Amino acid sequence: MTDTILKLDGVVKEFAGFRAVGGPEGLSFGVRRGGFLGLIGPNGAGKSTTFNLISGVMPPTRGSVTLDGAEISQLSTAGTAALGLGRTFQTPRAFGSLSIIDNVMVGLAHPEEGPLAAMLGRWKPAERQFLGRAEAALERVGLAGRRHDSVSNLSGGELRMLEVARQLVREPRILLLDEPTAGVDPALQGKLSEILAGLHAAGTTLIVVEHNLGFLMSLADSVVVLQNGALLAEGTPDDIRRDPAVIAAYLGADHEA
Amino acid sequence: MIQSLILSTLMFGAMFSVLTVSLNLQYARGGMINFGTVAYFAAGAYAYAIFTQEPPSGLDQYAFGFDMPWWAGFLAAGAAAMLFALITGWPTLRLRGEYLALTTFAFAEVFHSILLNERRIGNGSVGMANVERPDPAAIGLGDTLGYTLAACALMLLTAWLFHRLLASPYGRLVDATRDDEIAAESVGKDTARVRLQIFVISAIPIGFAGALYAMITTLVAPALFSAEVTFFVWIALALGGERTILGAILGTMALVFFQELVRVIPFETVRGAQIAASAEEVITGILFILVLRWQPWDRLSRKAGS
Ligand SMILES: Nc1ncnc2c1ncn2[C@@H]1O[C@H](COP(=O)(O)OP(=O)(O)OP(=O)(O)O)[C@@H](O)[C@H]1O
Ligand SMILES: [Mg+2]
Repeated sequence: MTDTILKLDGVVKEFAGFRAVGGPEGLSFGVRRGGFLGLIGPNGAGKSTTFNLISGVMPPTRGSVTLDGAEISQLSTAGTAALGLGRTFQTPRAFGSLSIIDNVMVGLAHPEEGPLAAMLGRWKPAERQFLGRAEAALERVGLAGRRHDSVSNLSGGELRMLEVARQLVREPRILLLDEPTAGVDPALQGKLSEILAGLHAAGTTLIVVEHNLGFLMSLADSVVVLQNGALLAEGTPDDIRRDPAVIAAYLGADHEA
Repeated sequence: MIQSLILSTLMFGAMFSVLTVSLNLQYARGGMINFGTVAYFAAGAYAYAIFTQEPPSGLDQYAFGFDMPWWAGFLAAGAAAMLFALITGWPTLRLRGEYLALTTFAFAEVFHSILLNERRIGNGSVGMANVERPDPAAIGLGDTLGYTLAACALMLLTAWLFHRLLASPYGRLVDATRDDEIAAESVGKDTARVRLQIFVISAIPIGFAGALYAMITTLVAPALFSAEVTFFVWIALALGGERTILGAILGTMALVFFQELVRVIPFETVRGAQIAASAEEVITGILFILVLRWQPWDRLSRKAGS
């Protein structure tokens, strides 16, 4: 028996009657603990919506999502994050008024983050240690030299890496990345690939939505294909590359198997 | 005359600065528009009066007067404003932007109407007169000077505490919550709690300022706590540039100075005084429009930045 960390069971999400996720019988799939799952499918297939349902950005219309057996579909985003789930967004999100290093520092669960600790100045010792961790995360994504820069000076690809760094410092048990290579240059993609392989080796469970299949297929150990909100195929990268239904719906007839 | 002008500007300027500094925290840092500011101010003033007033007698219609010392009333004022912020903030902070502005405004109007019509709180429209207060002569100070110093102390303490509050990981969390709530939530931050905390924390000094106002005027009555107070502090905040604590204080001082200046002009006729009072309001309005239209503080800070 494989050890499943995350499980979707009959999940449906409707927007004003339009079923974005679920298809005829609801979406169900599991993610192996320590696994690297690629989530692919055509535009509008429901990949980002599925991330939103898992991470609590929105609740499913019905169905259940369990993390380590505990129902999480009704939790808030902060609630799922507190259970060790991390995610990035297809459109990168940043705190515009904060410096780059502070954008990463927000990711840390500072033990003295409350208003009282602030007024009493009790936060300073922990801050120094946390600063080191945030700097290390920036180093990993290649933004160390920009730490005091303003977020508005970052390119789209750099913003994406900043968001990754903000999640990295938290050391989530399970990390969801929505199109992490979009707009990221080849050099940074290489860096990202190293980071993901490192996380995978360290036992972090990864779910990555990606249209860049060259990047994804070399890293993932299993793949789920969505089409019109429903599961089209599930298997190893090699299975998926050869699956006639996937080729027809997503990869294209001229795809090199 | 010059001396009394300076003193009264400082006294009322510092007292109202407590309000603008608190609004600065709520709005510029917390991203919440509170158009019911006067209600928290009134809650403080009334709590102070009720706690220090003697029990009702004769023609009094108010139900409670606890006859406590001034400092107990002062603490009660902070607690009352805090409680009122909790009650009004809990259901409304889910709202954004103009919706929050409208709701807080409505809350304040309801509160004003209750003060006016429920005579058992504070004698209705008559209010409570001869409010107890500590005598500055006890420490060898004149009345005005004593309360000016008290107002300045409250203002500086508020500004200092808020500065400490924001120059910390908590301040970073407040900024992150305002910038992008979903991103903050995605790293496990309870943004609803942060917003409520900021709303409540910034109401406390407003309540203290209300107590101070009751001491200075020795009167609490609904007429003193109309929506005009809210508009006044918002204009002061806009004048000073809403970004910094210092700007909030300077804007308030400037606006109060301007009003006090009109007040000390010795008018020969009632008509002259009326015209001056109207002119004051018109000029305040024009100033407000000009500041909003040209945003001089933004331009200055951009210039300083580049
Ligand atoms: N908040 C929303 N309200 C209404 N419809 C939505 C909402 N979010 C997503 N949808 C719809 O749900 C469908 C799936 O969208 P989703 O963003 O999940 O697709 P995706 O697989 O991530 O596509 P892409 O590859 O283009 O990012 C789309 O038709 C989209 O228009
Ligand atoms: Mg998407």
